[in-house]
Amino acid sequence: MNAQIRHVGLGAVVLMVVLAAQLTWLQVIDAEHLADDPRNTRTFLRDFTGPRGEILSADGKVVARSVPVDDEYERQRLYPLGELFAQTVGYQSIWVGSTGVEKAYNDVLSGRDLKSLKLKDLGELLLGKERSANVVLSLRSDAQQLAKDALGGQKGSVVVLEPATGAIVAMYSTPSFDPQPLASHKHREVQAYFNLLAAAPDNPALPRTYRERYPPGSTFKIVTTEAALDTGIATPEREFPSERSFTPPQASQSISNFGGRSCGGNLEEVFVNSCNTAFARLGFELGEQFPLRMQGFGVYAAPPIDLDPGAVASTGPLPGTFATNKPSFALAGIGQGEVATTPLQMAMVAGAVATGGTVMRPHVGAEVTDDEGRTLRTIPARAWKTAMPAATAATIRDYMVQVVERGTGTAAQIDGVAVAGKTGTAQTCEGCKPHAWFVAFAPAEAPRYAVAVIVENGGVSGDTATGGRVAAPIATRMLRLLLGV
Amino acid sequence: MSHPRSRLGRRRRGEELGLGALALLIVGTGYVLLALSEAPEIPANFWGFLGAIFSLFVVAHLAVRRLAPRADATLLPIAALLLGIGFVMISRLDLAEKSSDRVAPAQATWTAVGVGAFVVTLLLVRNVRSLARYRYTFLLLGVAALMLPLAPGIGREINGARLWVHLGPLTVQPGEAAKVLLVVFFAAYLVDKRELLASGSRRIGRMYLPDPKHLGPLLLPWAASIMIMVQQKDLGSSLLFFAVFVAMLYVATGRAGYVAVGVGLFGAAALFAYNAFSHVQSRFDIWLNPWQDVEFRGYQLTQSLFAFGSGGFAGTGLGLGRPDVIPVATTDFIFAAIGEELGLLGTMAVLIGFLLLVGSAFRVAIQAMRPFPKLFAAGLATILGVQTFVIVGGVTRVIPLTGVTLPFVSYGGSSLVANFVILALLLRISDESAAEAEAEAEQVAARQAVESVQA
Repeated sequence: MNAQIRHVGLGAVVLMVVLAAQLTWLQVIDAEHLADDPRNTRTFLRDFTGPRGEILSADGKVVARSVPVDDEYERQRLYPLGELFAQTVGYQSIWVGSTGVEKAYNDVLSGRDLKSLKLKDLGELLLGKERSANVVLSLRSDAQQLAKDALGGQKGSVVVLEPATGAIVAMYSTPSFDPQPLASHKHREVQAYFNLLAAAPDNPALPRTYRERYPPGSTFKIVTTEAALDTGIATPEREFPSERSFTPPQASQSISNFGGRSCGGNLEEVFVNSCNTAFARLGFELGEQFPLRMQGFGVYAAPPIDLDPGAVASTGPLPGTFATNKPSFALAGIGQGEVATTPLQMAMVAGAVATGGTVMRPHVGAEVTDDEGRTLRTIPARAWKTAMPAATAATIRDYMVQVVERGTGTAAQIDGVAVAGKTGTAQTCEGCKPHAWFVAFAPAEAPRYAVAVIVENGGVSGDTATGGRVAAPIATRMLRLLLGV
Repeated sequence: MSHPRSRLGRRRRGEELGLGALALLIVGTGYVLLALSEAPEIPANFWGFLGAIFSLFVVAHLAVRRLAPRADATLLPIAALLLGIGFVMISRLDLAEKSSDRVAPAQATWTAVGVGAFVVTLLLVRNVRSLARYRYTFLLLGVAALMLPLAPGIGREINGARLWVHLGPLTVQPGEAAKVLLVVFFAAYLVDKRELLASGSRRIGRMYLPDPKHLGPLLLPWAASIMIMVQQKDLGSSLLFFAVFVAMLYVATGRAGYVAVGVGLFGAAALFAYNAFSHVQSRFDIWLNPWQDVEFRGYQLTQSLFAFGSGGFAGTGLGLGRPDVIPVATTDFIFAAIGEELGLLGTMAVLIGFLLLVGSAFRVAIQAMRPFPKLFAAGLATILGVQTFVIVGGVTRVIPLTGVTLPFVSYGGSSLVANFVILALLLRISDESAAEAEAEAEQVAARQAVESVQA
């Protein structure tokens, strides 16, 4: 029987070898894939029960922190500033998923991103000290608060960024929401509040600043001007006829000036007075060249912001459609029709002029710090697009300064500081109240901040609202605070 | 019955003690590491723990020294190592549990009971061949043990399988005892009938097939395993019984035809079960595609696979993973918990441990001088090997998952006691063959001495 016993024993060895092969597959070859699978409960539990860093505003206020609690998840996430940062910082929720900075910087906050974390000494390694890192935002809590106060409950958005770095200093939209109930560990509570938010008519959970598109109206004339100058369609000397309306080919309706007046002159004059007829002409003349210039500012692409979900792409008339869709290109010249932009994108347009032509990658994170506040990593300033040559930017900057000095944006004047701006009063639909827009940067000669403000449907001013009257004062308050004047 | 102190016996017991000390060192280190993952100090109960496992090993060792001095030296230390690793892992899983749900104290108690059963087995079974005499008693007891969970009143269904019996405060799994009892019967029966089973075969074409009238003994265990599969919904035990029987039939007769027929029969039964029973179908479908329903039906298996992946090559370290997210981690999925915290290094070490354990058991079978102990030892070795493959293959998705314990490693009193009995029986067989070999050698030497004197 010994031969048979050896056969059976050999069979046992073969089975063990099969097991060893499968273990090698699971634990070496396929290991990373299995370990990182989002359905792996370990990943999920580590994020909720492990230590989690704080999220701090640029001025040192705690925006999110975790405290120990006595339940199965061990730690509760708290948002002491509530709705002020909800649409950017987001929330960490067991039941409805995480959003915003909480999601985009999850690896840092949970300490999983060990590459950015250096162990202080061997003792920490031996004690298995669990580490996590903090995220310091570029957003300032006082700027957020002012944006909220200045909007004063009117639906709208405020975005302020540093054009040179892309760092966002303020990004707030009304209405907002309190993220705290979503971070609850109780499923029923979370779901009830989540349903309430989803059903609310004004959609408070929507970050309008970077995930909602609006017709930008006349603020988009900055883009039209750049396109006209850099394609040679227009020079600063070009004279536009003084006219009440312009009807592009194929169009059934004419495009008229604000208030039905007649308007014309050289490029600076039509910019400062925001003549629709002149810019509709330019949009039509640019034709297929127009979308290419818009792309330089980032239109058609989702800005690569450090948020999750990220920013939505702004839109314009589709390339290759000019032949059959000429009116749309004319309307694009005045920021109407198929053009729809996020407030963030318009702040980036102002920023492109401010930097002399470069569009920086927008970001809300400034740096990653350890539990003692030491900087582990700084979020770098990186260029995203090149919109125009410096000479064009200088020309447009001068026009924008004139807008504030003597044009539609006089409400944005600040004593001792040259402000460059552009108003917009965007038609939304027939008989609807227009959106009031203002984009600006200051100081004009050495820009530190670029700002975009929109008040939806004119806010409390309604029909009589214009960008200059409703939105410009809000932008001015933001710039005054930030410039300290 | 008293054996003279043989040189072989002294050497083997010395080796056993040395290997055992090594195993205890590994286990003790594991226990300290586990405690250090919680707090930076040696746990207060450490010396108590070390003392307890040390004394249990010493009791078992002294029992072997006294009752089976020439027995194989590797089986007991390897079993101690596997049991110790399992105990450390069970203690680790307890950390994540409420104190009322902790099982390590029970496992410690069961280990003591197991060692008791080990000593009692060595005491009672002084001669393995005596077991063969009671073959039909063992058959009856084995079948009764198999049927017991079906009895109304005391039978219990846990986790969808009806293989438990309630006895006062204890829940026991009589199937574990049935395993050993039936192997005694199979061995005795097959030794009797093996000539018959081996010779009476028909030739069909180039294939030799057993005579149909000898298929009877094959069909009986087949029917029994189908019954276990259907009535108790226990696929693992069913596969185990049948595989062990087919292996023993092959060892006894040397006819590969039996293996082919056996595999065919089991395949047919499995196919039938797949079509007829939803729980069998469900197990099979989860095996084929666990990713289809990760949240519910595939949860156990996918979390087990995630555990292996999360552990990777070196593991997270004891106490630093989350093996507690796998349901029933202390029993069916203990190997996945080892995979997560000790990594491929740990799983390979455990696997090699089993390879040595099963290999030593087969060596005992080969060294046995007489047919019954030989076949009996081969059967016991096969139980250990197949059971290891069924559960490790199940949690690593080599084969469909079926709930059997990982011998010595998993939490479970019945299984632990049964495995200690298996261990004692193997040591008894080993000691017996060594004694016989020694006696034979002495006779040869004596004869040679006489011859040389005569010459």
